[in-house]
Amino acid sequence: MAQTAEAGIDLAVVRELMSHFKPQDHQEAQELILSALQEINEHFGYVSLEAAEIVADHLDTTVNRIYGLLTFYADFRTEPRGRHFMLLCHGMSCYVLGSQQLVQDLKDRYGVGDGDTTADGELTVQVVNGCLGVCDRAPIVKLDDSFHGDLTPDSLNDVIQRAIAARRAAEGSHVNPIRDLHSNPA
Amino acid sequence: MSTLSATSTPIQLSSRADFEAYRDQAVQRWASLWNGNQTVVSVGIGSCSVAKGALDVFAACEAALQGQEGIVRQVSCDGACWMEPWIEVKRPGQPPVIYGNLAPSEISDVLAGRLEARAIGVRAEQPLGSIPPLARLPFFKHQQRIVLANVGVIDPDSIEDAIARGAYSAYLKVLFDLSGEEAIAELTASGLRGRGGAGFPAGIKWESGRKAKARPKFVVCNSHEGEPNVYKDRRIHEGDPHRILEGILIACIACGAERGYNYIGGEYPLAIKRFRKAVQDAERLGLIGKNVLGSGKNVAFRVRTGGGAYICGEGSALMYSIMGVRGQPRTKPPRSVEEGIWKRPTVANNTETLANVPDIILKGGEWYAGIGTEKSKGTKLMTVQGPLKTMGLVEVPMGITLRTLIEEVWGGMRDGYRFKGIQTGGVSAGPLKEEHLDLPIDFDSLTSEGGMLGSGGFAVFDESVCAVDYARYLTAFNRYESCSKCVPCRLGNPALVEILDRIRLGRGAEADLPLMDRTSKHIIELSLCGLGQVAPAPLLGMMKMYPEEFRAHIVDGVCPSGVCPISADDAVLAAGD
Repeated sequence: MAQTAEAGIDLAVVRELMSHFKPQDHQEAQELILSALQEINEHFGYVSLEAAEIVADHLDTTVNRIYGLLTFYADFRTEPRGRHFMLLCHGMSCYVLGSQQLVQDLKDRYGVGDGDTTADGELTVQVVNGCLGVCDRAPIVKLDDSFHGDLTPDSLNDVIQRAIAARRAAEGSHVNPIRDLHSNPA
Repeated sequence: MSTLSATSTPIQLSSRADFEAYRDQAVQRWASLWNGNQTVVSVGIGSCSVAKGALDVFAACEAALQGQEGIVRQVSCDGACWMEPWIEVKRPGQPPVIYGNLAPSEISDVLAGRLEARAIGVRAEQPLGSIPPLARLPFFKHQQRIVLANVGVIDPDSIEDAIARGAYSAYLKVLFDLSGEEAIAELTASGLRGRGGAGFPAGIKWESGRKAKARPKFVVCNSHEGEPNVYKDRRIHEGDPHRILEGILIACIACGAERGYNYIGGEYPLAIKRFRKAVQDAERLGLIGKNVLGSGKNVAFRVRTGGGAYICGEGSALMYSIMGVRGQPRTKPPRSVEEGIWKRPTVANNTETLANVPDIILKGGEWYAGIGTEKSKGTKLMTVQGPLKTMGLVEVPMGITLRTLIEEVWGGMRDGYRFKGIQTGGVSAGPLKEEHLDLPIDFDSLTSEGGMLGSGGFAVFDESVCAVDYARYLTAFNRYESCSKCVPCRLGNPALVEILDRIRLGRGAEADLPLMDRTSKHIIELSLCGLGQVAPAPLLGMMKMYPEEFRAHIVDGVCPSGVCPISADDAVLAAGD
């Protein structure tokens, strides 16, 4: 599960993850850098400088090279995710059936574009330039762990608000999610 | 999830006889699964169907069969996205029946035979009551399944299922009966051409790999499909990972390579998981390693995953990515078969190419050459997106027409949508219109009209899609995915997007059309790699097929489809990125 900014990255967990990577030689160590970063990115939702340093030490490389990779490959983040993480599919089915309007609406309503997090830290949006592979329910998003298809800008907003409200209810918060979001225009 | 995979830990096999005994047992177990006095329910579980609740359907099936004679097993999605989630029910004494578009709440009724309206087809020659044979449905009728033969049939997590259905028999043949030259001769005779898009003859590539002197040598399977309308390779991984692994291992033995790689796009977690499991099982069984089955031949294997960079599907970029650096292509020559991973000879093939290899080795090159057209042999996986009725992944013989695919296989346009065109070749070619639909699909026929087979990814669009806006989408994809190494691609594609935005906003000038032509020509001629060399192709195709729409934006100041923000102000341009 992704962790949020407040929690930071537990470096003991990073070291534990790294202990499973046992390269035989320097060549194999280099081949494993991307996999190691993927593991961390998946576990924490991003790769921090401290985590990158551990990977660099473990696999016999430099943190500069690691940052070269983190900024080249689209899957990686170097900043923490918001409390909710949404992949917005921008594949061809989704485009043909209106995903551009969803992107636009997120910008208008929440002030977030590709890779951005809302000012209140609730939602991070990542636009998938490839395809999520659920094409017959386009346009589709994956919000946290579930897919939502056949979306319009309004129904997407409902989906987001419901997810935020459900989480807050579970946390016992009494803040009105809608008013709260609107009080933080980006 | 543990209930989903039934495989026990396989035992180590150390000779040909060992393997054959194991296979005989597997075949027997497979047969008794289907001939017993039990109901066998197979649930199609792929990344696509999971998104639609297939895991809940699986749980519902287990609950419904509790206390009865029956088992629930997982298979993969068989390509028919339109009927997901689906299950196959084999009742004792009856052929298997497929039920589709199910909700978990309907499962108990379906299994009790009270909801036959959900039946889609029966796996038999003859109808079962009012249920038609599956093979006669338009979606399946035109298909000839070689690569997909086991997809949706076997449990992808079970090496035993795969072996019962013939996996690794071709590998056995290459290990013991055929020399490397003989295996490559079969491949050459088959006429198999690379399925990644370029269509290079696979036999010739293997031949140069075999002749390469430097050591060690490698084989790489390119499973990084990143185009926004292609999902064929991930479905093979999810449905029949052993076929891909067998193809790579055969290539290693035939070319004399020490190690095989599979480079899988990081965005397909289920494909990666199932393929890793396949490799583990094959290693445990002794099909990978030193002195495989006592043949004296060694082969090692590594799985590597990508990080969401489309460019890593390009051969040299892929190898850089495997070596743990940025995936940026280099100039060629030397070709990868001379200097690839770690500067060693590397044979790189597309997943689908390698997945065809086991059958070619088993049945012979001549058999394969009998399928398809004169210059494009065999079958091809095709995927489609857009407002169609029965979307999905299909495997059809080369030479089928687009019209048959769209109107029959994929069920025609959904109600309320009118066909306008079909984007071909992923993001690497132009669209085709109604009048081109009777062209046969193969490597060469579509190019005369500016289309391309490419990796078999199509996108149908309807009249609500504006050609200018669509061209911007496709160009923006290439702009985003440019690796930024060489200038024409790095600066040229953003320039094209800027001009297109100008036109979308109603501020285009007539001079913009030749300007886009010129800029495109620069990008095509001066770019280093395949991405840049085809990046402007969708735009040029749109301009060629729909010139009147570009003119309407520029001259008349209207967007005929009503999509472009033609009268909006600058803020929209800034925000529309």
